[in-house]
Amino acid sequence: MSEVQHGFFRHGDNAYLANFTEAEREVLLNLAEQIIELLAERVDHHNDDPLAAMVGITVHDTPPEDEVLLRLLPNAYADQVDASEFRRYTESTLRQKKQAHAMAMRMHIKAAVDGVIELDHDSANAWLGAMNDVRLALGVRLKVEENTHQELELLAPDDPMRGVYAVYSWLGWLQESLIDALMDESQ
Amino acid sequence: MGKIKEKIDVNEKIEEELKAIFSGDIPWVTIVWDDPVNLMTYVTYVLMELFGYSKEKAHELMMKVHTEGKAVVSTGSREEMEHDVARLHEYGLWATLQRGDQAL
Repeated sequence: MSEVQHGFFRHGDNAYLANFTEAEREVLLNLAEQIIELLAERVDHHNDDPLAAMVGITVHDTPPEDEVLLRLLPNAYADQVDASEFRRYTESTLRQKKQAHAMAMRMHIKAAVDGVIELDHDSANAWLGAMNDVRLALGVRLKVEENTHQELELLAPDDPMRGVYAVYSWLGWLQESLIDALMDESQ
Repeated sequence: MGKIKEKIDVNEKIEEELKAIFSGDIPWVTIVWDDPVNLMTYVTYVLMELFGYSKEKAHELMMKVHTEGKAVVSTGSREEMEHDVARLHEYGLWATLQRGDQAL
C-alpha cells in the first residue's frame, strides 16, 4: 500500500515530516472525516436545557450502544452508578477533544504542499491520538485480539476485511514511525 | 531558625495524617488495562507525555499492563484521578479509577 519507506522522521528541533502519496493522503483524510462524524454528539431532542448543554453536561449517562463508540468513549468506573455520573459530565468534552485531534489531522493533510506533512510536537500528539482512534475503531470491526494477528494476515484476497486490515496495519506502522521520531527527541 | 521550621513541618505532617484518619480520606488510583490494539510504544509514550514519567518508568508500567493485564499508573485524590482517566481516554488508553483500598 505504501511507497513511503520511512513514515515520519524528525527534522530539526521541533518538526516531524512525512511524505505521502496522493492515495495515502486520501485514505488519511477519509479516515479523519469518518472519526469526526462518528464522534458527533448523539442526536437528542429531549435535551431542552441549553445551559447544561453549553457547559458540556448532557442527559446521556448510559454507555454508547455501538461497540466502536463504546471503545472510544469507555466507562471510567467499574461501578455503573459512578460511571453514569462521570459520563454525564465528561462525555461531551471527550468527544470534542477527540474530534479536535482528527480535525487537526484533516487540516494538515489539506494544507500539505507537494504531499509533505510537517508537524510540531503538539500537532504530532494530535495525530497520534487521531490515528489511535482510527485503529481502535478498525480494531473493533476486525475483532482484533491478542492472538488474532496471524488469522488476519491470512484473510482471503477477496475478503473485504483484508483491505481494512491492510489500512489498520499501515496506520500502526505510521504511528510507530511518529513515536520513534518523537522519542528520539526525548533522549 | 532551622529547628523551628523543622518543627512546623512535622506538625503539618501530623495534622495531615490526623485529617486523613478522621475524614476517611483514602487515596484513589488510576488503572490502565491491557488492550490488543494499542501499540506498546504508544502506551509508553502516552504515559511519558501525560504524567512526565521517565522512559524507564513508563516502559516498566507499560510492560506491567501488557503482562499482568493492568497496572496502577497514578495515585491521588478522586478529582485528580478523574482528570487522569479523562486524559488517558482522550488518547485512547483504556483506563478506570477506583478507591485505592479496593481489590484491583
